[in-house]
Amino acid sequence: MSLDPVQVMKGPDPIPNTCPSASNGESKASWEDSKDIHENTKKPKTPKPENAVTIAVSSRVLFRTETEQNVFEQKGVEEYLRYQVEHEDEPFAPGPAFPFVKALETVNIRMRELYPDSEELFDIVLVTYNHAHVGVRLINTINYHNLFIERFCMTGGSSPIGYLKAWHTNLYLSADVEKVQEALAEGIAAATMFMPGKEVEVSETQLRVAFDGDAVLFSDESERIFKAHGLDKFFEHERENENTLLDHGPLKGFLEVLGKLQKKFYAKGHRLDCPIRTYLVTARSAASSGIRALKTLRAWGLEIDEALFLAGAPKGPMLEKIRPHIFFDDQMFHVEGAREMGAFAAHVPYGIAQKYPCAKNANAGK
Amino acid sequence: MKALLSKSLRGKEVTAHSRSSAVHAVNQRLVSHNSSESLGFEVILIANECSEETKVKIVESVKHYGMEICKFYFCKKDEVIKTLQSNNVKLFLSTDSDDIYKALHAVMKLKLTYDISTGVVCLHVLLSLDVPAAVLYDQNGVLDQLKVTFSGDIIGLSEDSLDSLADFGFSESQIKTFKSAKICIKEFAVLIGEIRRRFGHENSPLCTCLITAWGSRNVCLSALKILGEWGLDVDEAFCMAGAPCSPILAVVKPHILWDGGLHNLRDLPNFEL
Repeated sequence: MSLDPVQVMKGPDPIPNTCPSASNGESKASWEDSKDIHENTKKPKTPKPENAVTIAVSSRVLFRTETEQNVFEQKGVEEYLRYQVEHEDEPFAPGPAFPFVKALETVNIRMRELYPDSEELFDIVLVTYNHAHVGVRLINTINYHNLFIERFCMTGGSSPIGYLKAWHTNLYLSADVEKVQEALAEGIAAATMFMPGKEVEVSETQLRVAFDGDAVLFSDESERIFKAHGLDKFFEHERENENTLLDHGPLKGFLEVLGKLQKKFYAKGHRLDCPIRTYLVTARSAASSGIRALKTLRAWGLEIDEALFLAGAPKGPMLEKIRPHIFFDDQMFHVEGAREMGAFAAHVPYGIAQKYPCAKNANAGK
Repeated sequence: MKALLSKSLRGKEVTAHSRSSAVHAVNQRLVSHNSSESLGFEVILIANECSEETKVKIVESVKHYGMEICKFYFCKKDEVIKTLQSNNVKLFLSTDSDDIYKALHAVMKLKLTYDISTGVVCLHVLLSLDVPAAVLYDQNGVLDQLKVTFSGDIIGLSEDSLDSLADFGFSESQIKTFKSAKICIKEFAVLIGEIRRRFGHENSPLCTCLITAWGSRNVCLSALKILGEWGLDVDEAFCMAGAPCSPILAVVKPHILWDGGLHNLRDLPNFEL
């Protein structure tokens, strides 16, 4: 008669799925809004994790927490927690993932207009290895900024990776490279995010997600050839293998789920004003090595709205024009370049480029 | 502070052992910090309707596994409640549904009881005695940290909010259950908070956790604040907003889960007299 904790909650979850969310700004549980649920006004119900596109965000990328981080690093955890509790009524400022999260909410609003009962929505979970002491300040901040985040995991110092899987996470954003690498090793799309170097305005009506090709959407096989044998060998290899599909990379799954959501908008006649737009921004060249990338995407049944083949030109200026809410790249110097031009860049620490970070000029002419 | 463990007659030694070890670890650490420490866990073992042979087996098993049991009670089923009261028990843990069900039903003071489909796991609220009761989990291998989990839904909801649960189909008696459960968990939470404060934030043998299964983030916020007022700053917090709890619980791996009876009440047969 041994007890398996999973068995305890087996069977139909008896709690109704409607979650009475309190109105923002109030710090006590406010069930006056339960009437709102009956009248079906403000707060919609949160979807089941397996049906939704779950984005797990850490507190350090959702908000600006540099001051607190310094306290932690210089004075230790006890002082850090004391500091957080002391400032618990002071909301944090928005961090690099903030506009991205806001854009996800915009998509949800549009999706609900067209498909009121659908659970295929973005679901945002705050996953942080902060102690729950910080929870009060985090929830206060979420209320202050009016974010639609109802799900949290504050793991009190333990690794969040197990929880990512439990939440069926489709994308994990964190400030911690090690946690991100752990997530990638478990097959979860993940990246670290950085604040842009200058002020930039992003769209409030359309979510824009930009991807690098190699080692992000695709595997790093071609990157390896390039690093080991140089540019000529790379071109030769790509020509010989033009009709061989590239293997998938860590963010392919995320592009896939974005595509599924896009198709729902297209089905209702919203192709031209779809609130999700995807971009491929690659150093590959359109005339040669780019063909293999396009053929691979097509074989996967994935559409990408815009493909920019830069043939080695810097990505920053293009990204400045696109103004994505997030741009994924495996190479830090591209991420840095994007940041400098004001883009919200995310580093995917995957593949050969992590072992051999290259200098600025080395990637030219791909 | 005493925690009462009820033991199944069918050899759950291993399960009880891991829990007992976790409790032992807490006690050890408390004493190592302060040798005149008065706080700690005392584990009392209660088994009912045992044959002489079984009684011997139980005592032998306890010795064999080196479990720290300070008292044994071999009693009849209707003496369980008296035993709990006379020992000033703060938390009653059990895995055996038949045992508990018969004992409590016989006493006729139980407001509600629920038996999950397998009959193996039980979740009970002993309101009449103001003794909170919680689910025991099998935690093979997790021996050096005791993990105690509380429900944010019951703790975080105010009186008015609990009343308005009627709009969601809960009966009045069920709502009364929640209100009483919230009151009766306070004492235990205060004690756990005191023990927790004896240790730092890292490498603590006691880890406390809050799970808000159904309420919104503000219910979770309220629960965090209320527990804070009671002197318990939880280490971990999870807010599910209606998502199924079991995948998260499988990672949290609590030893003790108190949820005031919320999770399974909708399908309960009502045993109120």
